[in-house]
Amino acid sequence: MGFWLELAASGLITGGIYAVVALGLNLQYGLMRIMNISHGEFLMLGAYLTWLAHTVFGINPVAFLPVVAIVLFLTGLAVYRLCFRRITRTSPSVEIIEARSLLVGFGLMYLVQNAAYLIWGADLRGYSFLADAVVIGDARFAGNSLLAFGFAVAASLAMLAVLRWTMLGKAIRAMMQSPAGAQLVGIDTAFLHPAVFGAGLALAGVAGALLSMVYEITPGMGEPYTVTALIVITLGGLGSAAGCLAGGLLLGLVEAFGMHFTSPSLKMLLSYAVFIAVLLARPKGLFAR
Amino acid sequence: MRRTLLKAAVAAALGAASALAGVTPASAQDAPVRIGYAIARTGPWAAGAQITQEPNYIMWAEQVNAAGGLNVKGKKRKVELIGLDDRSEAETMVRSYEKLMASDKVDLILPPWGTGANFAVMPLIQKYGYPMIAPTATGRKLLGMKNPYFFAILQQPDLMMDALGEFLKARNIKTAAMIHVDELFGLEQAAALEKSFKEKGIQIIEKKSYPLGVKDLKPVLNDIKAKNPDAFVALSYPPDTFLVTAQAREIAFNPKAFYASVGTAFPVYRDKMGPAIEGVMGLGTLNPKSSPAAKAYFDAHTARHKKEPDRWASAHAWAALQVMQQAIAKVGLDRKALRDAIAGGEFDTVIGKVRFRNGENIATPGVVSQWQGKEFEVVWPPDRATAPALHPKPAWK
Repeated sequence: MGFWLELAASGLITGGIYAVVALGLNLQYGLMRIMNISHGEFLMLGAYLTWLAHTVFGINPVAFLPVVAIVLFLTGLAVYRLCFRRITRTSPSVEIIEARSLLVGFGLMYLVQNAAYLIWGADLRGYSFLADAVVIGDARFAGNSLLAFGFAVAASLAMLAVLRWTMLGKAIRAMMQSPAGAQLVGIDTAFLHPAVFGAGLALAGVAGALLSMVYEITPGMGEPYTVTALIVITLGGLGSAAGCLAGGLLLGLVEAFGMHFTSPSLKMLLSYAVFIAVLLARPKGLFAR
Repeated sequence: MRRTLLKAAVAAALGAASALAGVTPASAQDAPVRIGYAIARTGPWAAGAQITQEPNYIMWAEQVNAAGGLNVKGKKRKVELIGLDDRSEAETMVRSYEKLMASDKVDLILPPWGTGANFAVMPLIQKYGYPMIAPTATGRKLLGMKNPYFFAILQQPDLMMDALGEFLKARNIKTAAMIHVDELFGLEQAAALEKSFKEKGIQIIEKKSYPLGVKDLKPVLNDIKAKNPDAFVALSYPPDTFLVTAQAREIAFNPKAFYASVGTAFPVYRDKMGPAIEGVMGLGTLNPKSSPAAKAYFDAHTARHKKEPDRWASAHAWAALQVMQQAIAKVGLDRKALRDAIAGGEFDTVIGKVRFRNGENIATPGVVSQWQGKEFEVVWPPDRATAPALHPKPAWK
């Protein structure tokens, strides 16, 4: 019995990491239909900032999380202003926002990734932090993975609460449904739109900071995470905070049990099988309304 | 930026060029020796290529030019590197080499990074007749192509796995569990390991493969831990080498011998894992304690690039350049003659004597290295060892 619990817990924790990766993109694509394909690159920036702060200045990575969030939030405002404001203003429909932002996102991806190559080179980087195991019952988990898992759950619940029960959340949802209508009832979309985009980037940065404690980092690390994020938010239902968490956890569980019963080499096959099955049953994702 | 640095180094070297006994110094009229290559500076191959390979090319060209130039059969000529980014794409890499050889007509080429990339460029070097000494290609499949222009200076899988088998047998290891990455590298190493362990009477009680880019191997490691093997061997690539180490430590899976593959020799492995890696073994060839030449190489690399080379293939990359340099001194730049000189000669390099038979370096033995303190000590074979082995592996710190 303990063995199965441990297997499930291990899957959930990896799933938590997938959910963390997807949180930011869920805001940008899920809520605003800005297909920011450079999501993983900003995650990478968060990872490098944390690595720099820790290895050069000796700053505690957890204490540095708010700094990463603020820096990436401001970067998000700037990126929005430079790249996405025009798109959202001039596109006649959300489908066109999606298509146009995809192209801009590709450009950003190359720009940010290659800038990182120029600055830090292609070498692997990493540091050891909270790698000691935390013993829960008979099971043992690395502290840094638990932290990422905790953050995924907390951030998802917070996002869920904000979207569902606060005026701010209502405003964001209204803006999504009808930008013009939202403006008419007095919602400051000129502020809210960039702010939500910035929050998405901030979440990407924090995810990167958390991942840098668990895995080693390179300037090219972002791309696979963008793919993971897209799968998770599609699985969960675009824009749904609970869905993002559930999607991530489901993927983690499938992988853990799949690995035990078959072979890790079948990981992709199993993940995509679940993905396809969910989309066949619920084309808009698990938690779509 | 690198090109500018290179030019600055060339200019400085020109100023300081002095005649060495019996060798004519390079003069302004002599065209430089143009040496081309394509290697990953961006993309997934870049981490390996930039730790192990390209830094050596740059340092070599600078050192040669600072010494007055490359000795081409008694005449000194400057070296000009033409390095291209292959963006970790086999297609871009092959096209770049085709351009370098067919239209730029460079004098020589240097190899790309990795088994797959070398495999892809092999038909071209035979077509255009460019000798290539590969420091990051392992696999019988490559040597099996019997390409007369291809030389593998890195130890082949059977040598490395045999060394591990001998080491473990000498320590009375009876059972082992093995996982390997689903790539040509992992498959070849796994086949070699199974053969060697069978001969040595070590029973493999669990064997699993996994895909590159995996983010969690804990379920597999937990299964293996339950079976309690004497030894654990991961035939892994860098990201998973880090992953299995961290996760084995996480679940306190501490077999008598713990071995992981590519990446254990990287200095960043030590930096990322901290003191936890005490006693972890892996693929290596040497360290600064191996010889004065090795020490000089490590010092020069650290001074030039502000980072240490890795303790396995980096030195092979440097040795490949030394082999080429010595062969050029003897026969010049005629590529057919150069190929014959490389194939038939014996060379003194940073990794010791190098001699090729059917394209394979047969002078360098299989080696087992082990982290002890801050150094990746050579622990097998005994005549190359820089420290006694730590066995059984101490508990994870």
